[in-house]
Amino acid sequence: MSPRGSALAVLSAGVVAAAAIVAGTLFGGALGARSSAAEPTEDRADSAVARRDARKSASARNGSALPTVASINLCTDQLVLHVADPSQIVTLSWLSADPDESTLAEAAARYPLNYGSAEEILRFDPDVVIAGSYTNAFTRTLLRSLGYTIVDVEPAHSLDDIETHVRQVAGAIGRIERGEELVREMRARIARHRQRLDSSPVATVVVRPGGFTVEAPSLGHELMTLAGLRNLPAERGLDRWGSLSVETLLHNPPELLVFTAYRAGDPSLANAVLAHPALERIAARTVTADVPAAMWSCGLPNSLDAVALLERAADRARSAREHGSNRTVLAESPR
Amino acid sequence: MSGATSGTASLGGTARRLDVSPYVLLVPLLFAACALSLWIGRTSTGPMLGLGDAAIAGPVLLEIRLPRTLLALLVGGTLGLSGAALQGLLRNPLAEPGLLGASSGAALGAVLVFYFGLAAADSLVLPLGGVAGSVAALGLLYGLAGRRADLVTIVLAGIAINAFAAALTSLALNFAPSPYAALEILFWMLGSLADRSIVHVLLALPLMLPGWLLIGAAARGLDALTLGEDTAASLGFPPARTQWLVIGGTALSVGAAVAVTGVIGFVGLVVPHMLRPWVGHHPRKLLVPCFLAGAALTLFADIAIRVMPPGPELKLGVVTALIGAPFFLQLILRHGREGDA
Repeated sequence: MSPRGSALAVLSAGVVAAAAIVAGTLFGGALGARSSAAEPTEDRADSAVARRDARKSASARNGSALPTVASINLCTDQLVLHVADPSQIVTLSWLSADPDESTLAEAAARYPLNYGSAEEILRFDPDVVIAGSYTNAFTRTLLRSLGYTIVDVEPAHSLDDIETHVRQVAGAIGRIERGEELVREMRARIARHRQRLDSSPVATVVVRPGGFTVEAPSLGHELMTLAGLRNLPAERGLDRWGSLSVETLLHNPPELLVFTAYRAGDPSLANAVLAHPALERIAARTVTADVPAAMWSCGLPNSLDAVALLERAADRARSAREHGSNRTVLAESPR
Repeated sequence: MSGATSGTASLGGTARRLDVSPYVLLVPLLFAACALSLWIGRTSTGPMLGLGDAAIAGPVLLEIRLPRTLLALLVGGTLGLSGAALQGLLRNPLAEPGLLGASSGAALGAVLVFYFGLAAADSLVLPLGGVAGSVAALGLLYGLAGRRADLVTIVLAGIAINAFAAALTSLALNFAPSPYAALEILFWMLGSLADRSIVHVLLALPLMLPGWLLIGAAARGLDALTLGEDTAASLGFPPARTQWLVIGGTALSVGAAVAVTGVIGFVGLVVPHMLRPWVGHHPRKLLVPCFLAGAALTLFADIAIRVMPPGPELKLGVVTALIGAPFFLQLILRHGREGDA
């Protein structure tokens, strides 16, 4: 309104700019500090380790022993359980002991559980912390600044990713041999499944809670292919999470419906999709199979267990195919 | 300057009987909150009193609990202060710091960082995205409303920016690269102080400080505004100046707060209402007490999170709303009763 008002508006805009510059400088400084830390410039890494060693009581350390490991992510918990020596593990995250979430709940329940905060990890004082790349960035950064070695494991999108991650974790915790052993076992299992592959793949739709299905490319898609299944929705192109509408399913009935109920007992909108009447009608006329959600959620050496489950379901679907087509039955729709 | 309406004047009148400076209570309260916040930690087995093992006491206190306490102070204070300033400016008891789009802009900025997968790289990228978002929202507000805009235009523009930012945030959620990223975005929207470090304090403070100063510079103008815009202008406090001081200060300080902690609701709305019966209705006298009370409330909410039984941490925004909503309701009911009397 007045020239004074406009002057002050300009002033405040100037302060915004100034503040942005301050933040920029700060960021630039921090970035610089970080990029120098990213390279293995020994002084910073060493000082962090020295600080941590100073904290650790001198007698607790044994030069030849394997490094102790903490994991703060469901998927890395299970990777650690596969790769680490049991004596190495000091804590796993709480979800890993939940049978609805974890394929190794029983084994995980033997260890102290954490809820993934920096203060907890500090009290367990592990040599190495294994985290998922989507685990709280604040926690990972804080732990890193406290001198811990953090290993970030990406989500697995393929069987190759599983091998990479097994080797990544194995390398970080001094279990390279065990890592190679797991990779060899996995490859042998994959080869056995490949030999079994039939020339007539079974048209399949996987229905996950919330109407999601298996997108391609993905680990789930690879597992399906390995079990001799055709991932029907993927052939039609899906969005990134693979949403599936019940109507699409009605128009393109599969030979096999795979359900992956997650906490089926707990009410949720996502599970309500699985109980859609139209879906139940298709299911009544189609071969169905259940695969626990935990089997799909992380890429692990034992993800191949899902392949065995799916292979058996595929066999059932093929024998149903020989005894009369499901599609014909469905075409004579009720009413 | 007793320009308040009769209903509010009676509220002020009942409180005057106390006739003690608010600082007598607020300052010790804040100190107690800080001490508790440094004293109470959280481990896998639930709350933990004291620092525990002497070998790690230093890092626990200085690198985990102290930054968290400082950030609760700064963020809570910012929310209380800007809430009081905005309610004074708009002369509307429902005004809150998120109203002008700064916090939804900051949230969107942070969420975009998540969306593009940059947050995985470093925890500093996220707040910077937030700061960029809030500055952009302020710029947009200024561009939309224009320098000489009246308050209604500004509020409407703020609502439009809010809605737009919320829509874009939902869009980012829809197209999140993975369910994990979507979950992280969702958690961000609920606000948290967990595992922030001193770096985040240093990032937020340079933006908050000028923000506070801008709001402080508007204090007298806000008092004058209670007499009406024309009177304020004739007293030498042009409303447009007051307006942009408050808006700029809020956008800067709240934007910085949201950028490091996510969205923490209700503090900015409730705190001025808590203090008004006690401190009175002059916006200027409310500002500093609201800063202190906002800081104390946020600290206590964060302490409440830490004393919960073992389990994953609750989100701070959830707890402030849980504390704030019943309190707000009680205020409204009491206000209604006193209005009848």
